Amino acid sequence: MRVVESIMAALIVISAVTFLYFFASAPSSQAHDTSELEKIGHNILHDIDEQGLLARYVYRSEWGNMTSALVVSLPVNVYFSLSIYDMNNNPVNHPLMQYGDQQVFSSSAAVASVTYIVPGYQTSYDPRILVLKLVNG
Amino acid sequence: MRLAKERKGQFIIIAAMLLSIMIVSVSTVIYGTVTYYRQERWEEYVTIVDSIKTASCNLLQIGLANYSQTLNSEVLKNYFNRWIRDVRNAYPGYGVDVDYALASGIRSAYGIVPPMNYSLGLARKWNMQTSYVASNATVNINIASVGLTGYNFSSNVFLKMSIRDVVWYTGTGKWYVLFYVSVDKEGLEPVIGLQASNFASVKLSGVSQSFTMKRYYSPTYKYFIYEIKVSSITSLPSSANVTLVDSRGIKTVSYTTIVQQQ
Repeated sequence: MRVVESIMAALIVISAVTFLYFFASAPSSQAHDTSELEKIGHNILHDIDEQGLLARYVYRSEWGNMTSALVVSLPVNVYFSLSIYDMNNNPVNHPLMQYGDQQVFSSSAAVASVTYIVPGYQTSYDPRILVLKLVNG
Repeated sequence: MRLAKERKGQFIIIAAMLLSIMIVSVSTVIYGTVTYYRQERWEEYVTIVDSIKTASCNLLQIGLANYSQTLNSEVLKNYFNRWIRDVRNAYPGYGVDVDYALASGIRSAYGIVPPMNYSLGLARKWNMQTSYVASNATVNINIASVGLTGYNFSSNVFLKMSIRDVVWYTGTGKWYVLFYVSVDKEGLEPVIGLQASNFASVKLSGVSQSFTMKRYYSPTYKYFIYEIKVSSITSLPSSANVTLVDSRGIKTVSYTTIVQQQ
């Protein structure tokens, strides 16, 4: 009869598996989450740009359309705040383009930030830097 | 015998220990492999490269639009010189360095005969039955902070307008001229969303005309066609001229002396 040995062997294997379970738990999901949000944000700005709409919204001050485009493109639980700067990092005057309370941004531990450049519109070179901040709601 | 049996039981424990060590070792290696790239944040650099790439392509488009409207042949060079300086400011701390080479000389593309002759990244042939403007450049991106060097891509922007036919229709007290025009962009993709306002001017025998426009797929030409109608033309025009500015601001001018009569 090797009951004792079998129980000990089972305990050893269970200990190994339990150790792995805790060891392999997701590291800090914060970096991963912001990375995913950055990817989503970049893809959305890129899609709007590909349609030829992004430069129009920025240079013709169609801020309402810009906000709506982002709201419908982003997942429902993702909040955003968009700021626009010139190449000297001076903010370009525009109304608040934000979805979600300011508190969401200040209280969130992980805020993703996407920087996207629009070089100009139609015939004019006049770059703008779009900074899109995203948080999970 | 009893002693031998009892000794054999130890092998179960030893086997279990070996199995555990194996599970832990293999899992550690797999876990390390899977999570390695997660720590490196490659996505951030990929998005920077992608953003610069898209903006550079847009710059080529803006430069071509400016050139087609002002005929300033150095505009693309000027824009790119400013761009490589500005892009460093846009991504401070990343060590972003952008370089460019504008297309030069004769290059075959889009079935254009004779081939396009580029100078400072720009090519143009106007006042022909088929007219076009094009820009072409190769952009090189380096990001020192991640050791990325020599990532390069070529991009081009193109707009072509062909006057397929111009026909003067007479009879039953009505005289009018119909233009059948096709428009293509890069990749020889038909441009299908133009409005009448995109046709900046339509001239017959050198005189500007008011016109109406409709667009449809033509079984005759087996192509997407813009049909421009100019009414009340009582004599056969000697020439026809169409100026187009597309939604990107790129302009081209087509001209023909072949006007058919029906």
